[in-house]
Amino acid sequence: MIVSDVVCPFCGCLCDDLELEVEGDRVVRVQNGCSLAEATFMHDTRLPAPIRRTESGWEDISYEEAIKETADILKEADRPLLYGWSSTHGEAQSVGVHIAELIGAVIDNTSTVCHGPSILAIQEVGHPGCTLGQVKNRADVIIYWGCNPIEAHPRHMSRYTTYATGFFVPDAQRERTVIVVDTRRNDTAGIADEFLQVEPGGDYAVLSALRAIVRGKDSVIPKKVAGIAKEQLIRVAELCKNAKFGAIFFGLGLTMSRGKYKNIRNAIELTDELNRHTKFVISPMRGHGNVYGSNEVFTWMTGYPFAVDFARGIAFYNPGETTAVDILRREECDAALIVASDPGANFPRDAAAHLAKIPTVVIDPHVNATTALSHIHIPCTAAGIDAAGTAYRMDGVPIRLKKVIERGYHDDAEILKKIYDRLNGGMGP
Amino acid sequence: MKCILNTGRTVPQGTAVEHKGSDAYRAVASACFLNPVDMMVLGIEDGARIRISTPTGYVVLSARSAEGVTRGEVFVTIGPYANHIISSETHGTGMPDFKSQTVDVETTEEPIRSVGELMEEIGGLRYDRK
Repeated sequence: MIVSDVVCPFCGCLCDDLELEVEGDRVVRVQNGCSLAEATFMHDTRLPAPIRRTESGWEDISYEEAIKETADILKEADRPLLYGWSSTHGEAQSVGVHIAELIGAVIDNTSTVCHGPSILAIQEVGHPGCTLGQVKNRADVIIYWGCNPIEAHPRHMSRYTTYATGFFVPDAQRERTVIVVDTRRNDTAGIADEFLQVEPGGDYAVLSALRAIVRGKDSVIPKKVAGIAKEQLIRVAELCKNAKFGAIFFGLGLTMSRGKYKNIRNAIELTDELNRHTKFVISPMRGHGNVYGSNEVFTWMTGYPFAVDFARGIAFYNPGETTAVDILRREECDAALIVASDPGANFPRDAAAHLAKIPTVVIDPHVNATTALSHIHIPCTAAGIDAAGTAYRMDGVPIRLKKVIERGYHDDAEILKKIYDRLNGGMGP
Repeated sequence: MKCILNTGRTVPQGTAVEHKGSDAYRAVASACFLNPVDMMVLGIEDGARIRISTPTGYVVLSARSAEGVTRGEVFVTIGPYANHIISSETHGTGMPDFKSQTVDVETTEEPIRSVGELMEEIGGLRYDRK
């Protein structure tokens, strides 16, 4: 059977033009997708049944037992942490927030270790952004700063920028100028018209230099800024000022390096500066399929996009204190529920190590590094493969994920609702 | 040799990301890319084992030559190998120094551990039933 207009749930691009060939409970062919989409749909191996760690190994348990024990663990905990949420749909995310409120937990999502700093900067100075459709149809200057779409978002350039034919940019490859800023000469740098190889940790200085040049203060700029020649900076500033419509996309090269959210603030303020000359926008290259959705769902339910602490009975938000890595580093939480993510692999060792010291429950379709640190792992559907639901693209556009096959697993939203019911004496959220 | 550790995504990492117990994932996540001149200074060839250490600990990785990496920088794909040596300090932002950790790089004969072994070192127990 052929299923068309399928949405790939892997990265924040949420490409919605895939065509899948399905045989029974397997996807046998992926058309239009990148190699990440192919791996997502065609090599989807799951944990077959819930497991529990014993003294000597692992044992299979029933879903009922796993759900009951998870509820008991969360009920007994003084400071539970509910973490993850980015590889599932909004329906599961919202039940997670209800559980957090009910038991006074901290709930955090994976943006805490990806674009959390971007959100902090946006809260300081705002977000001059737009949808990817605007970029595709209008942008003639594209800047990729601290990101490598060829590797991390393989179809971003063919669907929205470098190679995408737009309404006002009919001959994309000739009419779009691509500028790449990175510490590494990565694959994306290889197709750039201008590549600025910045010294590690030098992004803030380069952003400040560009702001000064755009303001007409180039006389104050030294001959080199963080490894980049003044002449190149002036050339790039001119390219930007002369653009009809410019778009900056930035990645973890800005959020994770020295300066963190202040780098993003500076990049947003450069965008602001450029808007005195032409139209310019800036947007983060969101990673996980529905990480933007976790920010949206958390925000419309609690007022805050991540790191929400319900211990006081009301939503409290203080990144650096209520963020998952900090809570784990301080060994503050005494139980953890990990949904649709893998902090065992993606958190620094000391933070991940605390998960093995406390009762940790994982709800995720796949065996991952966190499985080894957990007490119970409950497998579930994968949103966009065998479960339908809502996900948000990296530009904030909600897209309905399709259910393309049936594999006999429980939806994670259903598992979470059963946990909520047990915690709430049989009353649903 | 002192270097700055940079981390990031790659396509092979993304395609193997839901198969963390696999040999394919171990190979991509434990590869460490260095500038060819830095490899010459260390006196190593492609595929040599190197020990990367920080105050948090150390991890053994497989060296790979990469022209695009500047001297004094090493690149490792995001994942449990890089995170084994990254500090959990976030400087009040929630975000650890995933891209600016100073590391010591030296040659070693020690073997490269599996993801399961790394997790067992921090109190976990690998699940490897097929």
